[in-house]
Amino acid sequence: MDIRLLRASDIPLIQHANLENLPENYFLKYYLYHALSWPQLSFVAVDVSRPPKTPYDYPKIVGYVLAKMEEEPADGVQHGHITSLSVMRTHRRLGIAEKLMRQSQLAMVETFGAHYVSLHVRVSNKAAIHLYRDTLGFKTERIESKYYADGEDAYSMKLDLGFLREQIREQQEEEEGKEEGKADDES
Amino acid sequence: MPQTLSTREANLFRTVIRHYEDKQYKRGLKAAEQILKKNPKHGDTMSMKALILNAQGKTEEAFALAKEALTIDMKSYICWHVYGILYRANKNFDEAIKAYKFALKLEPDSHQIQRDLAVLQIQMRDYPGYIQSRLLMLKSRPQLRQNWTALAIAYHLDGNLQQAENILTTYEKSVTTAPLRTDLENSEALLYKNSIIAEMGDFERALEHLETDCKNCLDRLAVMELRARYLTQLGRKEEAAKAYRALLDRNAEHPDYYKGLVDALGTAPDDEVARKAVYDEYAAKNPRCDAAKRLPLDFLSGERFRTAAKAYLTLMFDKGVPSTFANLKHLYSDPFKKDTLPDLAEEYLRERSGTTHTDGQTNGDSSKGEGAALYFLAQHYNYHMSRDLSRATEFVEKAIELDPQNVDFHMTKARIFKHQGEIAKAAEAMDYARSLDTKDRYINSKAAKYQLRNNENEKALATLGLFTRAETVGGPLADLTDMQCIWFLTEDGEAWQRRGNIGLALKRYHTVFNIFDVWQEDQFDFHSFSLRKGQIRAYIELIRWEDRLREHPFYFRAALDAVNLYLSMHDKPQNGTNGADGSHSNGDDTVERKKAAKKAKKEAQKAEREAAEKAAKQDPNKKSADGEEAKKKDDDPNGLKLAATTDPLGDAMKFLWHLLQFSPKNIEGQIAGFEVFIRRGKYLLALRCLKAALAINKDHPKILEQAVRLRKALDGAIGSLAQKVKEVIESELAAVPGA
Amino acid sequence: TADVEDEVQPTAKSAEDRKAAAALSKLDDTRADDEGAAREVDQEAVKNAVSALGGGAGTKKETKAVKVDAADVKLLVDELELPKAKATELLKAHDGDAVKAMKAYLQPAF
Repeated sequence: MDIRLLRASDIPLIQHANLENLPENYFLKYYLYHALSWPQLSFVAVDVSRPPKTPYDYPKIVGYVLAKMEEEPADGVQHGHITSLSVMRTHRRLGIAEKLMRQSQLAMVETFGAHYVSLHVRVSNKAAIHLYRDTLGFKTERIESKYYADGEDAYSMKLDLGFLREQIREQQEEEEGKEEGKADDES
Repeated sequence: MPQTLSTREANLFRTVIRHYEDKQYKRGLKAAEQILKKNPKHGDTMSMKALILNAQGKTEEAFALAKEALTIDMKSYICWHVYGILYRANKNFDEAIKAYKFALKLEPDSHQIQRDLAVLQIQMRDYPGYIQSRLLMLKSRPQLRQNWTALAIAYHLDGNLQQAENILTTYEKSVTTAPLRTDLENSEALLYKNSIIAEMGDFERALEHLETDCKNCLDRLAVMELRARYLTQLGRKEEAAKAYRALLDRNAEHPDYYKGLVDALGTAPDDEVARKAVYDEYAAKNPRCDAAKRLPLDFLSGERFRTAAKAYLTLMFDKGVPSTFANLKHLYSDPFKKDTLPDLAEEYLRERSGTTHTDGQTNGDSSKGEGAALYFLAQHYNYHMSRDLSRATEFVEKAIELDPQNVDFHMTKARIFKHQGEIAKAAEAMDYARSLDTKDRYINSKAAKYQLRNNENEKALATLGLFTRAETVGGPLADLTDMQCIWFLTEDGEAWQRRGNIGLALKRYHTVFNIFDVWQEDQFDFHSFSLRKGQIRAYIELIRWEDRLREHPFYFRAALDAVNLYLSMHDKPQNGTNGADGSHSNGDDTVERKKAAKKAKKEAQKAEREAAEKAAKQDPNKKSADGEEAKKKDDDPNGLKLAATTDPLGDAMKFLWHLLQFSPKNIEGQIAGFEVFIRRGKYLLALRCLKAALAINKDHPKILEQAVRLRKALDGAIGSLAQKVKEVIESELAAVPGA
Repeated sequence: TADVEDEVQPTAKSAEDRKAAAALSKLDDTRADDEGAAREVDQEAVKNAVSALGGGAGTKKETKAVKVDAADVKLLVDELELPKAKATELLKAHDGDAVKAMKAYLQPAF
């Protein structure tokens, strides 16, 4: 298993993983739209243990997070949004989903200055809710009635990314401090 | 003679354009009609009307009208532009380019036409043409950064890296105010330039540029990764090691970073202890990290491997991680590891069974570990490199006994049946696994796949229908097709083919083919979209991937299926399905097949009908999707027209060319190619496939047989061959063994 | 009027689908192309730079003036099923020698 940034060439197998795992599906073009608008935000987990059968094999995707920035945020605050997250049932309990989410959240802040990240989750999806709320610290904002095509409600959840902004700021100060220190030494 | 409009109508004409751009087709049409009532011969309005008609799906009517408009007003750039847009919409790109060029000649200052032309040129990979267009666009609006970037892209893709870099630098130098640190377009443009410098192989300069100009770029990960890469290339090992450490602190699950670090540290490849120490450090830092614990298993040997593997397996079994076997099976190419891993799993089981079952508290937990170990062993004996299916059954049954409701265990049981050749039992077992967790689409997909392997197309569709969107007109099949579900289309086609239903099999393969057309077309909007967004590196990656799109195994499999099916249609013409007279085809076999095909067709129609009815019932309030967005009706839903072809080999070519062009190193494609070409009497092309197959794997059993057949065919045809062809064949065939 | 209004939104199936459809429908909105952030640029420098670019020729491959026999082109089109332009190009690359050209085409390109 390998966690890395999404590449355009991964997309057919990301779409495949999505179709195998989740009822919410998208055209390939919608994945492209993410990959070409916010290429820093989407990550995949790859099964690296499969020996390729032909020179044209693509790495098998066992998990992915497809993420974006909200283009016209209703509240006027820059924020990220998780469009889709999925891990193959065969690759659960390795913390893949959490690791994918953390990579994406960091990039949301670094590259796009996101203040928070939002997502929707089926009210019946206990495992996912546990991940978002208990592991990652999301808070439920509200219930969106009949959000899904089959009529199920969604929790609209949100995670304030202030802690990452703080962490990045500290690192920057530290680095700048170092450089000033260096300059002092030289003078 | 072109008519001129009154002021009122000229205004109206502008609203037609606006409505069209806003996709308000009915309003646009209404306004156009108003103008035409007074000026029935106004070419531009006729053209705009044609454009709207086309957007509404009335292609033929649109073309007729646009042509009429052109004959009335040959000098109107709008008429030519519209003509080009119509061609472009109907994918006749060459004609579209011609029309745009005409329009541009009449109206050289039109940004819109120039842009439409440019987009088509890049879509067609006409790099010199694209350079010309982007240069003109830059000259007319040099204040826009994206025009500079676009010209650099044009040169870059054409292979002129130096000029691409120059263009970007020229713009940078001409900017009088420094861009903000948060300026994403600027940040990306700098990194794009950096990637061009690296592509030239000048890592020294690339690193310097990265550390100065790109220091504050917003894509932190890219800056860090590039820096580590350049430092490695330049042999600056100490700094490279530091750079990889920084990356590992961000993401400890990326094997490349470990590799980079180990290389930079200069650890001797055979110094297992030193190498392991590097990973151990990260395992200690990140208790939940998998890679740091698992990757050393790749290089450790002997007792060291055993110790590390034991620790890893114990941890994974205790947690009950289902992918443990999947993550280790690549080690099986090493015989020692292949023997050690199952030993360790058995050892784990023995140790557990001694200590547990005494108090209820630990029992729950340890049964998870026990189940995981049994599950591991079941998969071990089911794996092709270590297969012993009766032992596999033994272990999976024990696991199931421990946890009868476990979906994964039952899934593996189904896989074991499959390997035993018990396709029907496998499908049944997988469906049982599905019934244990009906909210999980993964197991639902697997159950459907196994039903398809068992030739139960209707049942599989019904299974999948539990998760497809109920309101889609046409039921689950339409939803899966809409959503570009290639695995299903391919498996469904293969199952229909096994059942003798050529029509539906071909239909599915063609649908896959068409999906790839759509994927190729999908890049169209991004030629200008990406310039607006400024994410240039991602765009370049897209272009390069699209160039080899059809090498994808998704394409290869369906296309090879189609080619092979067409071959069998040629060899054994079907009566009935292709309309040929059955009297001279040979006997029972054909009759049987005909019956089977008929039955299969009926069943398919029934299943589709039922699905559609069900869909309609479930959602009585939803409007059917007719009207503006209505899809064109499929006039051959069951592939009867496809199956009725009189030229199966000719039809196979559509699939075959892409196979040979994009996956030349896949021997199956070359072998199929030979079969098609030899039947078509294209001996040079047959020989070309044979030579390629020979280069891929000279020991492939098919090669000798094909060589002999080619020689024989040539002996028969030698009199009819052109002298030059004969000459080529004689000298080239001599080098082929067996010919 | 009612018949005009009903075209505004295609029937959206869920909030999720609406989002995807809306995003995709905006992809080709090229009207925004010319509204990109124009920045202060040194007009003089730009003018000089642009004129220095000249005609902007692509990297043209030098093609020798090779005479090609029409019968050979036809032969290649028939036997190798190449488009006419490709067949001509292949012949030219081999000094108009059809045998050489066909032999070259038969070699595995990997």
